[in-house]
Amino acid sequence: MAGFLSILKRFYLTAYNWIVFAGWCQVLYLTLKTLKESGHEHVYSNVEKPLLLAQSAAFLEILHGIVGLVRSPITATLPQISSRLYVVWGILYSFPEVQTHPIVSSLLISWGITEIIRYCFFGVKEAFGSTPYWLLWLRYSTFLVLYPTGISSEIGMIYNALPYMQESGLYSLWMPNKWNFSFDYFYFAIIVLVIYLPGIPHMYGYMLGQRKKVLAKSKKE
Amino acid sequence: MQPKKPVEDCGQNYRGENLGSSNADSFGFCNDVSLMTVSSNRAVMLLLFFVTFYSLDDWLASLTLCISRVMKRSKRKEDVQTSISMCAGLSVLQMQEHHILTMVCQISYQVDLRLKMKVSVTTRSGRELINGGLVLDSSATVADLQEAIHKRTKKYYPSRQRLTLPVQPGSKDKPVVLQYKKSLKDYSSGDSDTITVVFKNLGPQVSYRTLFFFEYLGPLLLYPVFYYFPVYQFFGYKGERVIHPVQTYALYYWCFHYFKRIMETFFVHRFSHATSPLSNVFRNCAYYWSFGCYIAYYVNHPFYTPVSDIQMKIGFGFGAIMQVANLYCHIILRNLRSPSGNGGYQIPKGFLFNVVTCANYTTEIYQWLGFNIATQTVAGYIFLVVAASIMTNWALAKHRRLRRLFDGKEGRPKYPRRWVILPPFL
Repeated sequence: MAGFLSILKRFYLTAYNWIVFAGWCQVLYLTLKTLKESGHEHVYSNVEKPLLLAQSAAFLEILHGIVGLVRSPITATLPQISSRLYVVWGILYSFPEVQTHPIVSSLLISWGITEIIRYCFFGVKEAFGSTPYWLLWLRYSTFLVLYPTGISSEIGMIYNALPYMQESGLYSLWMPNKWNFSFDYFYFAIIVLVIYLPGIPHMYGYMLGQRKKVLAKSKKE
Repeated sequence: MQPKKPVEDCGQNYRGENLGSSNADSFGFCNDVSLMTVSSNRAVMLLLFFVTFYSLDDWLASLTLCISRVMKRSKRKEDVQTSISMCAGLSVLQMQEHHILTMVCQISYQVDLRLKMKVSVTTRSGRELINGGLVLDSSATVADLQEAIHKRTKKYYPSRQRLTLPVQPGSKDKPVVLQYKKSLKDYSSGDSDTITVVFKNLGPQVSYRTLFFFEYLGPLLLYPVFYYFPVYQFFGYKGERVIHPVQTYALYYWCFHYFKRIMETFFVHRFSHATSPLSNVFRNCAYYWSFGCYIAYYVNHPFYTPVSDIQMKIGFGFGAIMQVANLYCHIILRNLRSPSGNGGYQIPKGFLFNVVTCANYTTEIYQWLGFNIATQTVAGYIFLVVAASIMTNWALAKHRRLRRLFDGKEGRPKYPRRWVILPPFL
């Protein structure tokens, strides 16, 4: 029974990783194609469907961590995935005015390359049990450039959307009401930007540590 | 020819207390040879002995004594024993008083050494924290050891030290923490007179009283700011504010609650020896002060919508009763601990403790529920949920600990079946 379950788990994770890999390939391909053919203003509209699907699927990874299907600590996956979902749904999807901004392209390229390598890495690992060194190296080295570009694009997009949040009052609730509660999406975004400040060294430091550990271990073998 | 001995400092014992000086003639030999353990420069000593015992008869004696002195300083048992035997030999050969005296003193030193506990203190990475280790009485307690370590390492006061027994490498066991009241002998294996302890620096510590005082001071002072001062103008709400009665009662209730907590901190709670890391001050104050402001903002808001009169009365009434019950629970807990600060665990009994392990947390949660029923803010309910989950964590740990300690074996009472914190849920 245990053997069957572990095979099932491996099959599921393999399928999951390769499907999402395909999704991100599509995202990156469409981004680059649109950039070449039409320009940065049209990137989002062409990429929207696969992007929403591929990024939202990452929500499952939180469940994988909680249930114990994967080993990644939830303190590392939760901030990463919540920031991604916030930017995709809370900023890009919600505020059409920012969808034509050039930073959208830099954002999608950074995310695209990172996620393709990452899902390919996990897909190969689950399917074959181990990964070739070059793939390991890519997975734990490209972040050195792509984290800064990706995170600054995220911050840029949130910042771009701020005036539209104030204008539209979207997702906000005001007093007076029976439950004496208010929520200002604009101020919430400001708080998110503030949280990015300590968040960046935490995430980058975590990946640096992982890199050192994994590449050293691999060299020994 | 009787050599003239200078008046010697008898050196210091392990506490760094001076043993005083003595006149060389009475116990002079004993003192300067046997008990000078700390400061002397080895080469100077050897030279001194050679010069002092200079004479053809005594050059053998002085050489022997020098060698034995050097060996004795190595503090190894074998060397000390050898030096004693050398002196014994000399005494027999030369039948001289001073050799016999020296031997007697060395034997007494050796015996004295056996009554001591030698402690070596290492860090978790294996480095020796205190070079050469410490020598304490065999009857010394962990607290004495902590004092001795503090004397040698100025910045590590006792509450900052965590001392454990060394763990075998690769072993998954949690290290045994040394309790400050126990004697060192309790931790040394068998009859051994040496012990190794592993030191961990816990960082700067504050007493729990200090921690609690600052945690509670924030809400006590910040909440009234939202009530009394026109802060909402800075949030864009111009004009006069109408204050509803419930907002005034909420102010009194809230401030009384935190005032009560501060009073309990100083007059009711009996803290065990424990302190808390300084970083907890910042973390806990951030929690209390932020939530205090968050709730105060909504309850005192110009657009605040009050609940019905009867709901307010029920809320505050229930909350007030629970606050009194909470105080009583704290008094019961206080009486479980003896004034000497023994810090031992007992089975809580009486009042709600017969039903719930952590009745103090139960009453605290219900007290906040009362406040929220009366004031009805989402912010207040968020705080209630967060506080309840934190307290539930503590309650589970305490319940488990008590059940583990009072397992009914070896004459210990068995911990009765009780709810942990919130009947009928947990």
